[in-house]
Formats: sequence, C-alpha cells, structure tokens
Amino acid sequence: MTNPTNANKTRHYEGNPQKNSPALGATLAYLGINGLLALLHGSQGCSSFIRLQLSRHYKEPIPLNSTALLEDSVIFGGWEHLKKGIEVAADKYKPQIIGVMSTGLTETYGDDMVSALSSLRSERPDLKELPIVLSSTPDYMGSMQEGYQRTVEALLTTLAGPSSKTLEPSGSKFNSTFNDVSVPSIALLPGCHLTPGDVDELKEIVMEFGFSPITIPDLSISLDGHAELEAAPVVQGGTLLEDFQRLSKCKACLSFGLSMETSGEILKRTHEIPHHNFPSITGLAASDEFVLTLAKLSSKPIPEKLLRQRSRLLDTLADYHDQLGSLKTAIALEMDLLYSLASCLVEVGAEISVALAASRAGIHKLSLPIPIEVGDLETLEERGGRSRLIIANSNGRQAAGVLKLPHLRAGLPVFDWVGYPQKCWIGYSGTQQFLFDTLNSLS
Amino acid sequence: MFTNLTKLDLKDKKCMSDAGSPKLCMKALPGEGAERSCAYDGARVVLMPITDAAHLVHGPIACAGNSWDNRGARSSGSQLFRRGLTTDIMENDVIYGGETKLKDSILEIAANHDPKAIFVYATCVSSLIGDDVEKICQEAETELTIPVIAVNCPGFLGDKNIGNRIAGEVLYDRVIGTGSGPSEKIPLSINLIGEYNIAGDLWGVLPDLKNLGIKLQTAITGDAKFEDLRSAHRASLNVLICSKSLTNLVRKMEIRYGIPFMEGSFYGIHDTSETLIKIAKALGDPDLLERTLVYVGKKEEETRKVIAGYKALLENKQAVLFTGGVKTWSMVSTLAELGINILAGGTQNSTPEDFQRMKELMDPSAQIIEDTSSAGFLKIIAEKKPDLIVAGGKTKYLAHKTRTPFLDINHGRKLPYAGYEGMITFAETLTRTVLSPVWGHLRRKFPPKEGEQVD
Repeated sequence: MTNPTNANKTRHYEGNPQKNSPALGATLAYLGINGLLALLHGSQGCSSFIRLQLSRHYKEPIPLNSTALLEDSVIFGGWEHLKKGIEVAADKYKPQIIGVMSTGLTETYGDDMVSALSSLRSERPDLKELPIVLSSTPDYMGSMQEGYQRTVEALLTTLAGPSSKTLEPSGSKFNSTFNDVSVPSIALLPGCHLTPGDVDELKEIVMEFGFSPITIPDLSISLDGHAELEAAPVVQGGTLLEDFQRLSKCKACLSFGLSMETSGEILKRTHEIPHHNFPSITGLAASDEFVLTLAKLSSKPIPEKLLRQRSRLLDTLADYHDQLGSLKTAIALEMDLLYSLASCLVEVGAEISVALAASRAGIHKLSLPIPIEVGDLETLEERGGRSRLIIANSNGRQAAGVLKLPHLRAGLPVFDWVGYPQKCWIGYSGTQQFLFDTLNSLS
Repeated sequence: MFTNLTKLDLKDKKCMSDAGSPKLCMKALPGEGAERSCAYDGARVVLMPITDAAHLVHGPIACAGNSWDNRGARSSGSQLFRRGLTTDIMENDVIYGGETKLKDSILEIAANHDPKAIFVYATCVSSLIGDDVEKICQEAETELTIPVIAVNCPGFLGDKNIGNRIAGEVLYDRVIGTGSGPSEKIPLSINLIGEYNIAGDLWGVLPDLKNLGIKLQTAITGDAKFEDLRSAHRASLNVLICSKSLTNLVRKMEIRYGIPFMEGSFYGIHDTSETLIKIAKALGDPDLLERTLVYVGKKEEETRKVIAGYKALLENKQAVLFTGGVKTWSMVSTLAELGINILAGGTQNSTPEDFQRMKELMDPSAQIIEDTSSAGFLKIIAEKKPDLIVAGGKTKYLAHKTRTPFLDINHGRKLPYAGYEGMITFAETLTRTVLSPVWGHLRRKFPPKEGEQVD
C-alpha cells in the first residue's frame, strides 16, 4: 500500500464505505446559496444517487439537475452537453445563479468546463451576466468534505472577487442578514460537518456579540426543513447573491473545520480582512477559544447568556465525569466532524479506541491521543469490538449490529434517527447536548 | 468491453408520440431535469436482492458510496447483499488502471465473506480507463470455487431500464441453468420475475401460493438465493410482475427452456385474483384452477369486508398518481377499488405498454402528466389540488411542501402492499395518511386575522 495512514492494509476493497462522493459535498455547498440551480456534469445516475442520499438524510426535496451524459458523450466528450445543459437550465428554470460540479466520468475524459462556459457566453450574450460557478469534483479524489471545500472555494473566487459588480438586492423573503450598516458584519464559513442546527447556533452566538453574520453557504435557512417552500427546482433560502458583494466590508472572517481554512484564506487575501480558523467548536476549550476571539474582535465583554451556558456545561462535566471517563469510543466520520467530536470526548476523560476518517484530508494536521487512520465501516466492525460505543453515520448500523454495541448517529447519512439535521452540538450548550446524547445512547 | 446494446432485445422499445408517455429513446436532454437514473442503478436494482452473493462495484465512491444498502429489499436469510463493497477507484487507479486492485478485491471478498457468488459491476470510470472487468472475473474465477460474474453496466449506457435488461441478460447467460442438480420441470412451480421483495412484498403473496399448492421456485430477484436462481429453469411458468424491463429474460427462457410466461400483478384485490387465476390456467391443472376460483372468491370477500371501513372513509377522494415505473396501471385499479378518483396520472420509467394500459384504465377525464420533472409534477398538484398524492419516494418531500397527504409506493417504503394482505395494509396506511390531523395544522393560516377564531 502506498498510503501509510490507511487502516485496511490487508485489503484492497472498501467494505461498507463511510465516504460520500465529492460531488455530493459540492451539492451540499450549493444548496446553501439562494436562487441557485445545481447542475451536475455527469450521468443521470450520479445525480439520482446524490438526491436520494441527501433527501433521506434531510427529509427534504433536493433540487439537482444533470447534463445527462450518455454513450455518445463518452466518445465525443461532454463539452457540448455541458453548454447545452447550462443553456437549457437557464432558459427553463431562470435561476439567479448556476452551480456546476464535475464527476469521475467527465474528469476522466477531461472536459474543460472553463472553455465550455466561455464558448457558451460568446454564443449566448444574454447569458453573459448570469453568474455561473464551476467546481471540479472528480469522484476518485477525496470524500464529501473535499467536494464541499472545493465548491465553497469556487463560490468565493467566482462571486466574491474584488472586481465583481454590485448586484441589486433581489428582495427575497429569505433575508439572511441585517441591512443596517451600523452593525458590523462578519463572514462565517461553516464546514460540511455542521448541521443546519449548528449553523443556526453559530449565527446566534455571533449576533450575541453585536455582529451581523454573512454565512457562506447558509444551510440553516435552506435545509432546515421549513414548510414554506415553493415548487421550484432552485435553492430556496441560503446565502443571498448580494451578500457576496458585502464580504469586503466584513470586520473578519471566521472559518469552521480545518477544511474551510483555505476558503478563509481566500477572503483574507481578496479583501484584506483578518481570518481565524476553528478546527472545532465542540467542546469546552474549543468553545472558549471561539468566544474569546469574538470578544476580542467586538471589544465587548462575553455576554451573560453565554457565561451562563458555560457554567451549565461545567456542572454537567462534574455531574457525569465518571460515566464520561469510563467511555471507550470507536469513531468513524469525515475528518472535521471526527476531530470535533473525538477531541471533545478526550477533553472530558473519555478514551478513543478507534478513529477512522473517511479520507486523508487534514489527517497529518489534526491529532488525537491515538493515530487517526483512513478507514471504512468494515474496519470499524473489525476493530471496534473492545469499545463501549460506536459513533458513525447510519450506515454504521451493520457494524453496531455485529458488535452488539450502542451506536450514536452522526455525520451523513443519518436516516434512521429523526431530527439529526436540526441537532446542535456546537458552543457551550451544544457541547452539553452532545454529551447528553452520547450518554443517553448508552442506555 | 461495452455491453452490446443490440443484444438487449430492444424491439419493444419504440417511442410513442403520446404526450407524457415514457421517453424510451434513451435520450434525456441535458439540463432538463428529467431525474431518471443510470444503467448501473438499473442493474443493481435487479441483481442486489440475490442475498447470499457479494456485490462488488468497480468504480469510484460515487457509484457505491452514495447508494449502498439504500433499498427496502428484504431477506429471510443472508444479509450479505446489504454490504457495500467497492474497489473505490482513486486517482492512481485512473492513471495506472484498476485491474490488479479489482482482482485482489475479488479474492479478498471471497475469503472474508464466504459469498455463494460475486457479481462485479463495471461503471463509467472503470469502462473509460479500459479495465477489462470480464477478463479479471474469469481469472479470479479460476482461483476460486464460486462463480465471479461481470455485469457490464456503465451508467452512460442509458437509463434504468437498460440496466434492468443488462441484469436480465447476465442472469440468463451466467446464472440460470448453471447448477449441477436435475433440470426436469417441477410441476406447479413458478418464478416471479421483477419482484424485489420491497418491504417484504413477496412474503405477502407466498401464503396464497402455498395455500393453492403452487411452488415458488424463485423470485427474480427478491429474497433470492443463488442456488435457487440457478435452477430457475425448472419452473413451469414465468410470471412477470408488472415491470416489463425483464421481458428479454422471459422471452429467452421461453425459447431455451420452454417456459411460457405471463404478466401479472399482486397489487390490489382485482389484479391479485386475476393473476392467481391466470397462473392456474397457465399451469394447465384443472384441479388447481377449480381450487383457485374458490379460493380467490373467498379471499376477495374476506378482504373487501375488512377494507369496507376504509373505503367508506376514502370514497370519492381525488388523487394524483405518479409512479417511477412499475405498477402504474395496477395502482389505478387499486385506488379504484377504494373508491378513489384519479384526477391526473403519470409515469416516468414505464414501458409504452404499461403507459397505454394505465391510460385505458383511468377515467377519460383524468389528465396525463406530461412534464415528468419535479416541477411539472408540482404544477399539476397546484392546479388539481388533490386530496392525496400516491407516488414514488423521490417526490415525497416535495409533495409535503404542497401540504397534501402523500403515500410512498416505491422502494423506500416500510410496509408491504402486495397480495390480499397487502391490500389491507395499503388501505389502512392510505386512510391513516389522508385522515391525519397534521394536514389541517399545515393548512391553517397563522397568525389568524383580527376577529378570526383560532380553532
């Protein structure tokens, strides 16, 4: 094996994968942008599987279009299909923005998306003004987290550049931010390990310090499962297009999850604003760091409400220190979430018996008391036996069944426990909830 | 190594001019939002319910990673089929080829999981980089004692129907008739073709077959064991359950093994009875036919008695019906049995014949859903304002946004709807959905206007 961090050294296949495809991560990022039509450049199965997977996790309709590639495009390339796809989608659905992601199929034969787009724009001058984001997400590189990361980067480089034009406010009813100029703005870049519920809390905490958040992408108002949707094949809710123009006025940029660090650096470079990356905001120390940073940025004292939440968390730690201390946990998740949850457990005295990441991203930069390895859920099944608890997505149910261990659902997909997308496991009160959920899953 | 499409017996796939009829020319327009799936998906749907086999997907993570263990096909025995197995093609494999990795994987899976057979699915990327899946499977087979079967189903070959056919072809070439046991026909035995045992549908029909003395050789494929499939050619009759995507298989089985085939459906009282009688007739046993006629009469009466209460509650409700493919026409008569009127109907993956049949069964005033994208479907809901929607799972959460009662009849559901027992479950579930108090809450305006009562 060429990969020293790979846990399944003895086999070449992936058994019960915990990975999702990068294009699924791209879809997720696009789903947080209001008025966006997501167009997958690939075969119809690629988009069909993504829709099904996200829809059984979020219990929401997932608008995702495709260029519907067939045999002829394998021979002649999908370049014309991509042009046609953008054109048809733009004409039929009139989106405010189109987000394209590639797949293993199109990356293998090497479709040049950039030239397809510029060729289309010269043929159709009326589409010149339509913002179109291109994200390269070959299925054979990385996992959901990488696809999401690359897509947020593509969104920022395409839409948040210094030269991009000022857009008229679209007057959407999903107003994600305050319009009051006296309130300082702050840019938030949540990673794909955060649920809509987490992002909601993130915004709340930031607002406690008197900031108006611009969140990219903002799943807390698009995939939060609200009933006021209209029948449209474009994203409803999420970051407004004009919010991208306001990024230059932000006081700072905060990115969450190590995978979001590069996106934060893009904003730092483009708009010369300070950038802070928080690999985790679950756990006491991680929340402390986050809150102290906000206090410093705002030059305000820490709000009483947050201190109260902190105090409650401390009390919980005291009350359950013994149960937490005897907890031996096997975890398999995408890297950012793995690190967030595992470091929180380590911090309260629990032991991590197995730590399996879905892909290699960040594996050498983040550390736990035991080595983090890349592994699938079959590895979890092979190695998790001497633990008391499994933390993995719903697909970990086979491993949990074989090992007869309790299984706390986390990550994506979670389809057999209700309410996961609304769960909040960040900040003081979210950390407290995470510890409650962990302990309750044992009984 | 591409699958030869002309081999797939596409004769019955002519395009129809009727608006809203399934587009079977294998062409979907880019950007149109047709939301159909791919050939790989079609093949796995048919083959994965072979429960004691391992199913290895030779592709990048998008093919298996996003989809494994996501269907409701159930097993009475081995759970091996639910395991997600893939070679997880990575960048280096794209550059250097994935054949070695594939062969190692096959051998390791055989050692680790003790499968009765291994099905290996080729995908878009494995085909593009030129991996010869067929050759690798043959090589691996010589080192093992079990069949290793290549399924050439890269997604770009077409939609789900093409994949279904490819799977049928594979079963015919590599599985059926390959056992070492006897091959004479078993009297009064049948195969159910295109029955995937979703939510245990098959188990709802088995008691009726058993009571009549009909032996189920195997379902192709639902709760299927590899050995049973190998002797599928010993059945006296093939019964094609609704979906005609496996027509190629039954035609070929008729020619090679002399097994006649018929179509049938176990959805609804009428279709269940009709199918049982047709089976009895086709098996040519006068005694069986007599038994069956008495049996279905009794069963119909029993079932109608039980569902009468539900019918009273559902009578004259207005429905919109939209299916992913199979069972569309069968669902029309099932809803009619409960006194439900169909305002509009549509289907996405059916064959032209299925579509015609649905059209004939529906009231002439019912509208055909022409635009089968989600947007088109929702437009019909907005126009027709039905009391309930009966459709496949993928429209479920969109339908909920219209605040209309919705029943999932596709592969995501948890309850079996086949046979007489299934009809009762169906009526019960539908009633619960339609009469659920939540729809009232969803439709109530809040906050109330001044002077209005909050009720």
